[in-house]
Amino acid sequence: MPSATTITAATMAHCSSSTSSLYPKLLSNSTFRTKCTPIPRLFTISANSSIHSTHFCSVSHSATYRRSLRRIPVVSGTLTVESTTLYSDEKDGKKLLLEVKDLTAVIAESKQKILNGVNLTVYEGEVHAIMGKNGSGKSTFSKVLVGHPDYEVTGGTMIFKGQNLLEMDPEERSLSGMFMSFQSPVAIPGVSNADFLNMAYNARQKKLGLPELGPIEFFSHVYSKLDLVNMKMDFLNRNVNEGFSGGERKRNEILQLAVLGADLAILDEIDSGLDVDALQDVAKAVNGLLTPNNSVLMITHYQRLLDYIKPAYIHIMENGKIVKTGDISLASVLEKEGYKGITTA
Amino acid sequence: MSASTLTPNLLQTVSTQFYSLSQFPTPSTSRISFNRKSKHPISSKSASILTLNAALSDPFVLQIAETFEDSLSSSSSSTPLPLQKLRDSSSESLLSLSWPTRKDEPFRFTDTSFIKSSEIQPITNPPQDSDIACISSDIHLPNLTIVDGYIVDSLSGLSGLPEGVYVGSLAKLTSEGIVKRVSEFVSNFEGDLFWSLNGVGAPDLIVVYVPEGCRVDGPLHLRYCSVRGSDSGSKTLPVSNPRVLVLVEKGGEVSIVEEFVGGDGDKCYWTNAVLEVIIGEGATFSHSYVQTQSLGAAHIKWTSIRQESASTYKLVEFSSGGKLSRHNLHVQQVGSDTVTELSTLHLSIKDQTQDLHSSLVLDHPRGYTNQLHKCIVAHPRGQAVFDGNVRVNRYAQQTDAGQLTRSLLLVPQATVNVKPNLQIIADDVKCSHGAAISDLEDDQLFYFQARGIDLETARKALIYSFGAEVIDRIPFAYVREKVKKDIVELLLEPATVKSVV
Repeated sequence: MPSATTITAATMAHCSSSTSSLYPKLLSNSTFRTKCTPIPRLFTISANSSIHSTHFCSVSHSATYRRSLRRIPVVSGTLTVESTTLYSDEKDGKKLLLEVKDLTAVIAESKQKILNGVNLTVYEGEVHAIMGKNGSGKSTFSKVLVGHPDYEVTGGTMIFKGQNLLEMDPEERSLSGMFMSFQSPVAIPGVSNADFLNMAYNARQKKLGLPELGPIEFFSHVYSKLDLVNMKMDFLNRNVNEGFSGGERKRNEILQLAVLGADLAILDEIDSGLDVDALQDVAKAVNGLLTPNNSVLMITHYQRLLDYIKPAYIHIMENGKIVKTGDISLASVLEKEGYKGITTA
Repeated sequence: MSASTLTPNLLQTVSTQFYSLSQFPTPSTSRISFNRKSKHPISSKSASILTLNAALSDPFVLQIAETFEDSLSSSSSSTPLPLQKLRDSSSESLLSLSWPTRKDEPFRFTDTSFIKSSEIQPITNPPQDSDIACISSDIHLPNLTIVDGYIVDSLSGLSGLPEGVYVGSLAKLTSEGIVKRVSEFVSNFEGDLFWSLNGVGAPDLIVVYVPEGCRVDGPLHLRYCSVRGSDSGSKTLPVSNPRVLVLVEKGGEVSIVEEFVGGDGDKCYWTNAVLEVIIGEGATFSHSYVQTQSLGAAHIKWTSIRQESASTYKLVEFSSGGKLSRHNLHVQQVGSDTVTELSTLHLSIKDQTQDLHSSLVLDHPRGYTNQLHKCIVAHPRGQAVFDGNVRVNRYAQQTDAGQLTRSLLLVPQATVNVKPNLQIIADDVKCSHGAAISDLEDDQLFYFQARGIDLETARKALIYSFGAEVIDRIPFAYVREKVKKDIVELLLEPATVKSVV
């Protein structure tokens, strides 16, 4: 149904470009957001013996006023960094892209400490990999970088292209050239992949002061990128990640990266749940997107990804800190001796 | 854990009905009249029933019934037999029915006092030309336009229907065979008060007949318009009682779009509609139901479906209109291997109540049912009600029944009352049900933001997509697009209605 898609997309595009004066009050004032605990309840009754049962589920719900989870990150300590000078920092003629200093963060809900002073510097055109045990804080770090609301930054700094990330909303971080591919991207029923990409693409175009693309023009723009991730056309008409296999989800993330572009791509376990063929496809796509100016930060458990995408630096994370940094040889040590071999070394 | 312990209300209702039936067995030939001036004298038998029932009868209900009867006695000279049968049986059941209160389980969350406190005025005559001047003649064919319960031929167009298919008034039906079939089924089902009130007040019985093995391409569009209404605050409530009976014979196939419209803004009226559908063996009935009546209106709708073996019923509903909107949906399986798919979306964007009471009764093996109900409440005094009952009775083995309800509450104080319930007696079945009530998912919002899309746009897209899951199931593009446009206008862009699409 191409016509249906077209109109939906047009509607979406319209939504994104206009602001209504009434609407924000009604629906989206963030301090007024109702946060009702979702009650997902799915009973499955599959009975072979005689069962006489009745299930009543009666939920009487009056929404109550509750503060939004979306918090503005709290920065403790003072920021006296002159950002422009930082950005002009160069190493071998390469500009500094990301500088993270002494970053600490807690889980917003439980206040449990999860990052204990992360330091990381990424220059243009570099490929970095972060490895570490389960629960060492790798994924948390990537989420904190893009502003995930589940985490609260309690200290340290994050400067990206000379801008203080802590002062930026997640969408601003994205628009400034940072892209995170999610480990397990959420499904969005009812929103087609094409519409979603179009919205994201237009948001970027708007930010850059470039013309936004209508659904049809956009379609041809995306079409050229599909080959890159080895996907068929109908991929675009499907709802975002809905019913996608693990491999399709990852390919979709890379497709988004290809369409939106990024100065820094953070790939959170892009290899998990992929078979060899899919991994090669994904790695090929990522390599195809690498230029001398953009950088990649990979988060992974396994060396096999590093066989396809070669990092210049490997960082080992433990207890919310980067405990060791080295070159590719670190990965082979890891493969042989496990994390013990590295952290005790 | 037996069914009886957990469903006292239901059993009570059943037993009361039984009581009233056993107490007052009435031969179907007798006629009850609420109207003392009636041409037909009350037979001694029915008079005695009236007395017997006096204690149980609700004077308010009898009064409405009487005004309905008055309104019809002047207009109808020769009533076709099935319609007469309908009126008689409806009159009879009204004697033991009272106006619902919040103490009655089916109306626990639905306040009908707004109707009760108004002066109910039946619409006694077909609409005049001046009334229908405002109705758009831009229609999707084939189309039957029903204004205030009366067919308006000048606004309808029924060309192109296959031979043997009949769409129109029972009074104009010449085929005796079809009349006979219609009388077999008319009012074979016991609804509630509103069902019976419609039976008494319906000026006409509109018949859609699809003969055996006949396949009707493209949808038949039934457009129900309410043109006569009072201004808000005037306390009078013109009421119309459109009634349609659809009979799809063995192997037949038809799609019907029911669209309820009427009145700008806050016009007050009461639409009390009934649709009865008989789906024959192996037949398919696809039903789209769109309700966008005025925000001052009461919209009470009954849909009663009878599914014979291997038949298919698919419903997609979108309801956003009415101050009070109540849809009673009853699906009765009368044969094995049936397929039933119900998808509904209710929008409560103003001070209004949107209510769906559905009941699916499975009595035969290998039925498949799937129900998805969604509602969005975007007003502090807005309310959505859902009571979804699925009964898998003793002989309904190997039933596969799924039910899911999801509600989106967008503002503080918005209310939803949902009661999905399964009653299973058969022992070899697969059933599931679930209920979720939430604001928009944070994870989903964040996914948009992480791709550079601002929160407000993300919220709009998610609200829209929440509804689109149901709307995308409407099989006809023209209906789908209209409904999508409505959602955008109502929910996403209330201030800039004109600029959309």
